[in-house]
Amino acid sequence: MFGYRFIRRERPLPGGQVAAFAAGVLIALLVGAVLLVASGNDPFEAYAKMFDASFGSWRALSTTLTRAVPLGLAGLAVAVAGTMGLWNIGAEGQIIAGAIGAAWIARLGPDLAGPILIPAMLIAAIAGGAILALGPALARARLGVNEIITTLMLNEVAIRVVRYLVNGPWKDPEGQGFPIAPVLPEQSRLPDFFSRANIGVLIAAFVLLIFGYYASRSRWGYELKIAGSSAEAAKYVGVSLKAKILTVLVLSGAIAGLAGGIELTGSADRLVEGVANGWGYAGIIVAALALMRPSGVAAVAVAFGAVQVGGLAIQTLGVPAAISDIIQALILFGALSAAVFSTYKLTRGGLGAAEPTGQDEDARATV
Amino acid sequence: MEANGLAVELAGIWKRFPGVIANAGANLKVRPGTVHALLGENGAGKTTLMNVLAGVYLPDEGTVSLDGVEQHFAKPADAIAAGVGMVHQEFRLIPTFTVSENVVLGSGPPIIAKSTIEDQVAELASRFGLATEPGREVWQLSMGERQRVEILKALWRDARVLILDEPTAVLTPGEAEELGRITAAMAADGRSLIFISHKLDEVTAFCDEATVLRGGKTVAESLPVSELDATRLAELMVGETAEVSQRRTRETDVGSPVLAVEHVVVRDIHDRAIVDDVSLTVASGEIVGIAGVAGNGQRPLADAIAGLIPTESGSVMISGTDVSGTSPRARNMAGLSYVPEDRLGVGLAPRMDVVENSIMRAYRALSKGLLIDRTGASVYGDKLVEDYDVKVGKMEAPVAGLSGGNLQRLLVGRELEVNPAVLVAAQPTRGLDVKGVAAIQQILVRQAAEGVGILLISEDLEELFALSDRLLVMHEGEVVGEFDPDVATRQEVGAAMAGAHKVEET
Repeated sequence: MFGYRFIRRERPLPGGQVAAFAAGVLIALLVGAVLLVASGNDPFEAYAKMFDASFGSWRALSTTLTRAVPLGLAGLAVAVAGTMGLWNIGAEGQIIAGAIGAAWIARLGPDLAGPILIPAMLIAAIAGGAILALGPALARARLGVNEIITTLMLNEVAIRVVRYLVNGPWKDPEGQGFPIAPVLPEQSRLPDFFSRANIGVLIAAFVLLIFGYYASRSRWGYELKIAGSSAEAAKYVGVSLKAKILTVLVLSGAIAGLAGGIELTGSADRLVEGVANGWGYAGIIVAALALMRPSGVAAVAVAFGAVQVGGLAIQTLGVPAAISDIIQALILFGALSAAVFSTYKLTRGGLGAAEPTGQDEDARATV
Repeated sequence: MEANGLAVELAGIWKRFPGVIANAGANLKVRPGTVHALLGENGAGKTTLMNVLAGVYLPDEGTVSLDGVEQHFAKPADAIAAGVGMVHQEFRLIPTFTVSENVVLGSGPPIIAKSTIEDQVAELASRFGLATEPGREVWQLSMGERQRVEILKALWRDARVLILDEPTAVLTPGEAEELGRITAAMAADGRSLIFISHKLDEVTAFCDEATVLRGGKTVAESLPVSELDATRLAELMVGETAEVSQRRTRETDVGSPVLAVEHVVVRDIHDRAIVDDVSLTVASGEIVGIAGVAGNGQRPLADAIAGLIPTESGSVMISGTDVSGTSPRARNMAGLSYVPEDRLGVGLAPRMDVVENSIMRAYRALSKGLLIDRTGASVYGDKLVEDYDVKVGKMEAPVAGLSGGNLQRLLVGRELEVNPAVLVAAQPTRGLDVKGVAAIQQILVRQAAEGVGILLISEDLEELFALSDRLLVMHEGEVVGEFDPDVATRQEVGAAMAGAHKVEET
């Protein structure tokens, strides 16, 4: 009863969130340096390598941006739902559903010209993600069923469906028995952008920009905010909570589906079981780091991608994979702590001491 | 038992909170085997005093004695160990646990054999005539049944003194009678009960003696209830020197009705009529006050007028338009504005900023196509903040950081800026400091002078007397009286609030 606890700050942290993030990451790098020294590596060299591998050249930048595409779209999917206090934990499954949709179109029309085939694949991917999110959306809007559980469980369904496809009807006859679908037609590949990046980077950047702007400036975004902030206030001013829940969750699924579509028309050359690669879950971290603001997702996704690319690169210096993983995790942990501390403060006190004025329960929309 | 023969003695209790003195030398003496009523208006310090007895608060001064032995409770567990139990207004039960699991929680044997415990709880319940099913999960129970579980919890810990904080507020009349029988059985067993209430009929029916608090002080100690009548009680509760503050002088004549409520009935989930056949009208330029002790249907009435909760029957007309069964927004468009009791949550969205909260009623008009006109929105917000004198740090900061008075000025301003025909204001000055109260009252008076019809729901009698043209009293969901504030006395209104009509009828 008299321990430490977090309470929401009434005012944002002075100095801003950027300073908090910088401090969090710096602390993580210091702790990481200790580990690097302990494992017999030069921390300066390792960190220089990390930066060089992720931003040091056009090639490095293109690798980082390519990595950031699925992270950013998955993060946006989670953040859009988070704007009104909903948790889409199903981006992983929705990415798979999107990839299945795209692969299906490629099977249907393998001879279509690229400018027709690629958009068709992307639209099918968007539809796939949206369809997978539709069930949880309806259940939440009409029956009040917790979307965290339903979206999470559908991830398992999506994984099993793709596993069935690549082991059964869609299995590549020339795949030497591996559970993989046939290689996609050559004209289904997205054109190159620069170095190793394809124009999927531009598509994702465009979607992130539109939503970042639209969510903060539009009537729709404003109504979402009211609905997420106070269900009662929303009801009073005539914002339909049910309609908002439905559209937001389906939209969230559609964005994650697009990530699957870009993956299939971009980096991946065929549909495989691991097509989503954990990006759907990483998207939750991206959204949390962006403080659930769609406008912040792009920057976080690039930084997250850079940490992953850089973390892999230092293994070439002889840094053990485990240490590299720990350093990546530390940086995320430092940044996440900064996100928490920029919105909450730690106080020591008993009951009734400085109760937060905002009711946190209000953050979750209820029907 | 010690020489003084008192089960409970609270002497000279002082308890101060930042900016508030809740208890200023309060006394209470409870004899063993009696049911003792603790009476007083809202804010008289009843709940604080009981929290001192239950070990929730440490008193700043004064002593707490049980059976003549002075006690020093550092935490609620100390009070429980000394035999004090409290049934709070909000029950503290775990919905997914069974009745018996809730009863023994925290004080059962280390290994709980379900059937044994259920038998023991059932036996305890039958000793005091408490109807309960020990094996049922609490979420399935009615409010009355849940209350009995709370009482069982106290009895299981062998409470010699049981505090019931407004126990009948959540009960149906039948359940309240049942509770009366239970308290009598417990008193007959030699236990002492402290019964916090506003309702005179219950006090006379269930209690032996009564102590009245006013302004944190004891103004009447251990009066036999047989000597109480409604007028005397009202005098004690509200004070005899009821100096009515500056009466509002009306500048305009009352116009045509802008709000007409007819035979409205609202039921809660337990099918209790919480608004029971209420009819009222408010004319343009008129302030109609609704007095009543909290929880007598004022809030659901206001919510029902605003369209936030459904009505079972009856109609609501706003400026001649029948809005029964329509959405809150349809009522807004017909000319209704609402300042709800929960200013943060229902009224304002705590985490949205000042501008965002300002434009909630006007954002559709401030949109250009799909986008909100940011310049227009910020001009609108700036004007609101200036016109209604809202002190804000940054317009982009969440409103959760504003003080109560500023929140209320922002909310009232937002609701009036759209030029409503009628304003329903629920507890608009509650919790505000003197300056804040005056500011809100001035705004209401000014708006009435400009022709807005105002329905003012308040627990502050002084405010109602000062502002209202007509004064209605609600009790148990019904309008039980209408008074002219120019001639009525606070005692008359207070007696109606306490349910005097019921006593007189019987």
